Amino acid sequence: MPRFLKEFFNRNGTLMGSLMLGLVLFWTVGLIILPQLSMLDFSFRPNLPPPEIGGPKDVYTLENYKYLIYGPEGGSQDYNAVDLRVFFRTIVAAICVTIFNLILCYPIAYYLGQTKGNHIRILALMLIIPYWINEILRAFALRIIFGESGVLNTMLVGLGIFDTPFDFIRNDIALYAGLGYAYILLMIFPIYNVIESLDHNQIEAARDLGAPWWRIHKRVVIPYAKPGISSGCTMVFMLSAGALAAPQILGGPSSLWFTQLIYQQFNDNSDWPQGAAYAIVLLVTCILLVLAVMRLFKVNMGDIGK
Amino acid sequence: MNNPVIRISIWVYLAIFFAYLLGPLVIMSITAFNSPSFPRATPWECLTFEWFSALFRDERILNGIKNSILVGIGTIILSVSMGLAGALMLTQIWPKLRATYYTVIIAPILIPGVVLGISTLVFWDRINRMLGLGADSVLSNGLFLTIIGQSTFIASYCMLVLVARLQRYDLALTEAALDLGATHAQAFRKILLPFMRPAIASAAVLAFLASFENYNTTTFTFGEYPTLTIELAQKVRYGITPAISALAFMIVVLTVFAALFNEANIKRKEVLAKARRDGATVGEVSGGVKLPGFFTGNAAAVALVVFAIATIAVVGTATVYNPKQCIANVQEQKRLETERRIQELREQRKRDAEAKAAKDAAEGATTTAPRPSNDSGFGGVFAPGTLQGDDETAPPEDQEPSDNSGFGGVFDPTNIGGGD
Repeated sequence: MPRFLKEFFNRNGTLMGSLMLGLVLFWTVGLIILPQLSMLDFSFRPNLPPPEIGGPKDVYTLENYKYLIYGPEGGSQDYNAVDLRVFFRTIVAAICVTIFNLILCYPIAYYLGQTKGNHIRILALMLIIPYWINEILRAFALRIIFGESGVLNTMLVGLGIFDTPFDFIRNDIALYAGLGYAYILLMIFPIYNVIESLDHNQIEAARDLGAPWWRIHKRVVIPYAKPGISSGCTMVFMLSAGALAAPQILGGPSSLWFTQLIYQQFNDNSDWPQGAAYAIVLLVTCILLVLAVMRLFKVNMGDIGK
Repeated sequence: MNNPVIRISIWVYLAIFFAYLLGPLVIMSITAFNSPSFPRATPWECLTFEWFSALFRDERILNGIKNSILVGIGTIILSVSMGLAGALMLTQIWPKLRATYYTVIIAPILIPGVVLGISTLVFWDRINRMLGLGADSVLSNGLFLTIIGQSTFIASYCMLVLVARLQRYDLALTEAALDLGATHAQAFRKILLPFMRPAIASAAVLAFLASFENYNTTTFTFGEYPTLTIELAQKVRYGITPAISALAFMIVVLTVFAALFNEANIKRKEVLAKARRDGATVGEVSGGVKLPGFFTGNAAAVALVVFAIATIAVVGTATVYNPKQCIANVQEQKRLETERRIQELREQRKRDAEAKAAKDAAEGATTTAPRPSNDSGFGGVFAPGTLQGDDETAPPEDQEPSDNSGFGGVFDPTNIGGGD
């Protein structure tokens, strides 16, 4: 038995130690690492009926990834234009949602973090309550508002801004509003946590030295809040790129989110390897993008999730 | 900060922000009480409680709630114990491995739920095949897969909550217990566990809520056990009814209730602690009007009670209130409206036909005469009948002079009484 393992059991006792080790190994290896590796492996295999799995036809192939880029073999187009367009649209839209949320939430987080008083607790409570409501129900609420005979259209037509109801759902406005709405809290709390610990005297000092308010934010608050901002942005970006409920409920009939394609491969086409390949592409792209942006703004991985 | 313009703009901003955050929930709640069968807040028709009884008659929803609770209990047990083990391990692990280990256990929070669901499904399907078990084994059971899939990332949340409290734990306490002859299991159960209890409770609540509302992971793993969220998603995708609003309203009410209760409790403890510290009674500390025990100096508790009374009042109204008369009235109104429109349409067609006949008669003589234009600017948009009405009877160039008012025939005295 290696020394560190012996020490570990000495410190925790044999029973408690092995229970702890067992649970941690089950979680990290059995639930996190192996399933991801298994999915990666699966994405390189052809879609076979169950009896043929493990047979001579079960060989590694790049077919599933080729499908995303070139489309079905012998297809009329050179590239799989539909799926690729959906993929890039998903990524770009997720970035837009992240930026929108950052702009919307930064002032709130700053206000909550730097103001003292009883009403702050109430505001925080009001922030948390919507987050406890089911994701589906939140999307449903927005659908009631954005529907053709919804509150917003009734109001706009009543005010005479539009002659006929505007189709928010077909134009994807409902979808973007819904995605932004779903993850507001994940943006606010990391930023709030960091800004709360910023000494107000620093801001006072900057003000006394004659800095205008925007320069105080640029030179004092934002550099300090960078870990919180990056952590919030990472979470919002990853979650909105991987969202499934909001696009299914709020998306227009013609627009698809990339996760919906994955869902279709699994549930409608029963092509698991293809779906796994798409999922891998989504996961890898998102991680690379996040790492690249973190590199750009010089943020460490360890700051995420604090 | 003291500039009034900035102050006002902050409040306006806060108002817009909270309107965006809470407005949808309020409007959704209102639709639960409106009688049209499509959930809408405007136009308001009748107050009704029918959607609540429709909800309780829905077998699938009830079954979904049952499955959600089963999955929730399983997830709490699995993810809290894994989270606790993970947190304890984080405090002891070899420093060089620490960063890697932390990345691995925090990663499930950032991995999209869809990916977690797929990987769980694919992995356990493979294990199932390797063990040579059939399609109905435990490992391909929807309940098992859902609990496993959800626990993968919920355990990370639990770990974060537990680690925060664990950092304040004094290891010397465990050592003292061991020196006094306790076994490791006893020291864990009698010293560490009681210290961790508040954090374990919040981790359990968090785990249950996260499990209850999860959709992305569950949608791949649920199998024969659709949870409430899955049922809701299917209902919302294929036709929405106010019964869903009713469910949402109840969840909102429960949430507000729990939040207020929690807040009141925290406040109560603060007040008590202050009183104990100052050696004064609770009444002296709060200094205000004397209220019975729980309420003293505790705004949240007062709000809680007001809220509870309001709920009881609403439920009371629901048992005696009968919206049948109102619904009948609205239906009658709608019928009258439809009849009026039909009448209008008929009038319009008749007039169009007459105008056309007149024009046809005059056509030979006045071919060069300028065509009377529709000069109101509103066209005929406000007359419900005009748009559909004149397509067949009159081609567009035959816009007759009577349409010049722009309001079509709405103000025609014969139309007003037309519905009777």
